[in-house]
Amino acid sequence: MYIIIVGQGKFGSTMTAQLCNESHDIVVVDINSDKVTNMVEQYDVMGICGNGSTVDVLREAGADKAKLLIATTGSDELNILCCTFAKKLGTEYTIARVRNPIYATQGQFLREKIGINMIVNPEYETANEISRIIRFPSVSSLDSFARGKVEIARVAIHADNPLCNMKVADVRKKIRANVIICAVQRSGAVTIPDGNFELQAEDSINITGTRSEISSFLKQTGVYKHRIKNVMIIGGGKIGFYLSELLSDTSRNITLIDSNLKKCHELTDELSDVTVVYGDGTDQDILEEQNIEKQDALVALTGIDEENIIVSLYAESRNVEKVIAKVDRHSYSILNDIGVETLVSPQIVASNLVTRYVRALENSVDNSQIQTLYKLVGGKIEAAEFLVPENWAHDTETFRELDLRPNLLIGCIIRNGRIIFPNGDDCIKGRDSIIVINAGKSLKKLTDIFRVG
Amino acid sequence: MNYRKIAHYLGIILLTEAALMLLPVAIGLIYHEKATASFLITIGILAAVGWLFYNRKPHKNNIYSKEGYIIVAAAWLLMSAFGALPMFISEAIPNYMDAFFETVSGFTTTGSTILTEIESLPRCVLFWRSFTHFIGGMGILVFVLAVMPRSEGSSIHIMKAEVPGPVVGKLVSKVTVTARILYGIYIGMTVLLIILLKIVGFPVFDSIVTAFGTAGTGGFAIMNNSIEGYCNPAAEVIISVFMMLFGLNFNLYYLILIKQWRSALKDEEMRWYFGIIAAATFIITLDLTVMRHPFSESIRYAFFQVTSIISTTGFTSTDYDMWPSITKAVLLMLMYIGGCTGSTGGGLKVQRIAVLVKNSIRSIRKAANPRRVETIKINGRTLDEGIVSGITGHFAMYMILVAFSIVIVALDGYDLTTTLSAVSACINNVGPGFALVGPAGNFSDFSYLSKIVLSFNMLAGRLELIPMLMLFSKIGISND
Repeated sequence: MYIIIVGQGKFGSTMTAQLCNESHDIVVVDINSDKVTNMVEQYDVMGICGNGSTVDVLREAGADKAKLLIATTGSDELNILCCTFAKKLGTEYTIARVRNPIYATQGQFLREKIGINMIVNPEYETANEISRIIRFPSVSSLDSFARGKVEIARVAIHADNPLCNMKVADVRKKIRANVIICAVQRSGAVTIPDGNFELQAEDSINITGTRSEISSFLKQTGVYKHRIKNVMIIGGGKIGFYLSELLSDTSRNITLIDSNLKKCHELTDELSDVTVVYGDGTDQDILEEQNIEKQDALVALTGIDEENIIVSLYAESRNVEKVIAKVDRHSYSILNDIGVETLVSPQIVASNLVTRYVRALENSVDNSQIQTLYKLVGGKIEAAEFLVPENWAHDTETFRELDLRPNLLIGCIIRNGRIIFPNGDDCIKGRDSIIVINAGKSLKKLTDIFRVG
Repeated sequence: MNYRKIAHYLGIILLTEAALMLLPVAIGLIYHEKATASFLITIGILAAVGWLFYNRKPHKNNIYSKEGYIIVAAAWLLMSAFGALPMFISEAIPNYMDAFFETVSGFTTTGSTILTEIESLPRCVLFWRSFTHFIGGMGILVFVLAVMPRSEGSSIHIMKAEVPGPVVGKLVSKVTVTARILYGIYIGMTVLLIILLKIVGFPVFDSIVTAFGTAGTGGFAIMNNSIEGYCNPAAEVIISVFMMLFGLNFNLYYLILIKQWRSALKDEEMRWYFGIIAAATFIITLDLTVMRHPFSESIRYAFFQVTSIISTTGFTSTDYDMWPSITKAVLLMLMYIGGCTGSTGGGLKVQRIAVLVKNSIRSIRKAANPRRVETIKINGRTLDEGIVSGITGHFAMYMILVAFSIVIVALDGYDLTTTLSAVSACINNVGPGFALVGPAGNFSDFSYLSKIVLSFNMLAGRLELIPMLMLFSKIGISND
């Protein structure tokens, strides 16, 4: 697909990396020539240096024949302008990053009258993701398929867990819950386990199943955590604000710490149920003073990654049950190993959303069948939901007979609203929804699950 | 440095060379020649070595600038070393050093030869000799990129190292597709030339090898007297026009293909190029006419020789060594100017000359008014100061290499015209020089040392210095 990405900041470059990986034809535009050169050398894309909100530059980038334009410059207004121009020049779909909450409420108008097809607000989406994790605290991340029927959850196994030193094949015998372990992460490497794979302490596993089955699995393995009542949020930026708003609707005690007095006043005006504290949230004394030990969850959202990580590590040492840290520089692969259970990156959250939209566009083009797609474990693993076409030719072959690609697993099959956890004797039938977990090259269509050649 | 990935790439290139050698085998079979066996032996060796290299599966896929340069330099050296084998084995050129020189001269599209008697060689060897021009013209790595199913982002580093010119732009967002378009245009124009030559009365085999020599801007002919040997004025005109066209930036053809005539015609480098050709043709025609040649003949000879030298092809339609000094001086200058960025030609490239001229003017203005701020523009766009200083640096490096090479080649004790023009003809990938290495002479009498230096010059000139210099420098050998 021909895609133009305007603006190569943190979000724009993450987007470029992800979409490039899916072999789209990409043109990147930025006003800073160093950034363009850098992207062109790193990825197989074409670069244009210039202001993406001018007709000349857009024309040079091929806006007249582009399928999609993504505007991710630092300014909301420029992004909207850029999308409007592109649309008039003939770009079929446009996506704009709009962060200012004042504009965000005009989403419908922007979509219907201005013709911007999708509006992304990375901060809001991040807050949304964090709030989902806090609502279901037992897992470090949670994504849903088939309109929420099936979820995929990530859980860390500690030394006291009965799953330690257990073979994957035995897990289903010993624990009465219908879930499938679909990926295991151990010291930076990710594997899709077979029956003989032995789980160890400090592994992180991804499981698929319904919400209740996952809960029951977690209860039996002793990782179930109780509802989170006390939340501490460090940093009152955009994400902190959205998150407090999203969480304050129920009976939770939220403490929001920010080091800017003026901002604290603004936040107090806007958020009535939240305890706003003025102070440096990365200071150990202030954390102690605000009773960090009694917190069920701590979310570190300052603008500096290092501070977020240090605060999180400290919180974990103080036995806070659920610790979430925001990181912007997500490309460091050690981040998954340093001990912070849940890391959230606004760029990844937002670019996952856009990637999903792009895949959906592509599906409508090539008639391929991906419904939902998640990138897990820092993008190393993909979980994709496919709709099997009605004329599926392999509907009598069981999994034992099908020659599937290595590093691939069928997480579950949803047939007529019923969820099946497949074993070797099951087969895929037309009109099923299947969830495929894959660690190799990206899947584009359902037939990609077979071994090549 | 990612040695495994480098080895992997070199493996792919050697296997590609083995595959390309099947073409001369086919020619050999058609003409029932014994020399075919030498190609089969070479294919065997190439396949074995290539397979060994190819199987070094890389642990990491990342390559950076440095790896790109090293891959390109090493690939060209290895290709020439193995490409020389058929000529050596078939005893067409019994001395391996000579065969190596001839092959380097082929791949780098130079066209300097050590052969005195060409016409009696087996057809398959002649075909291979000219085919190396065709491969080398657009570059074997660009070819590999074109046939690779999916390119990685880092392959731009390879393309940058192989495609001539200070700035390498992609035509479309994917390296692979860009490479395919370039090869498409290249092959299309070559086929057109083959057909035209056939129409004006060339035998099929001759029109194919001549087209290869023209397309790559190489200059190996299969007649002892180059194009003069055919005595075919119509063919001379056709070849001159095509030499000129192959010296143009291929991006322009793409612009024409996608119907952006206007931006193609506005190209500043192209205007400089045509301007230089017109001026040089005018001077030489005038000079030849004064020397009492008929005018029509003068202009034909002049145009042929000017396009042949500026595009760094090196075909000859007459022995220009007999011409007066002023024409030879003009031709020597044209050697250094060379073709356009992104063409198959060698030399310094017209764009660099344009920037150097503009930069010199700027320096003078700046000396007069030190506070003056001025940028250098090409095609109406400001050129980054980094690129400008890169171009002046390149020019300095070029001249230093020329100076050193002349001193070493001079050890052989030939006259200064021979020595100077031999180095100039090699580093600019032209082919023939003046005096002993002129159209009537050849390079066979040079010592081994000179042949090595001249081979290095040809490779350095074709790859725009940096890859070759890096390969043989401390940076290229050290592992960091």
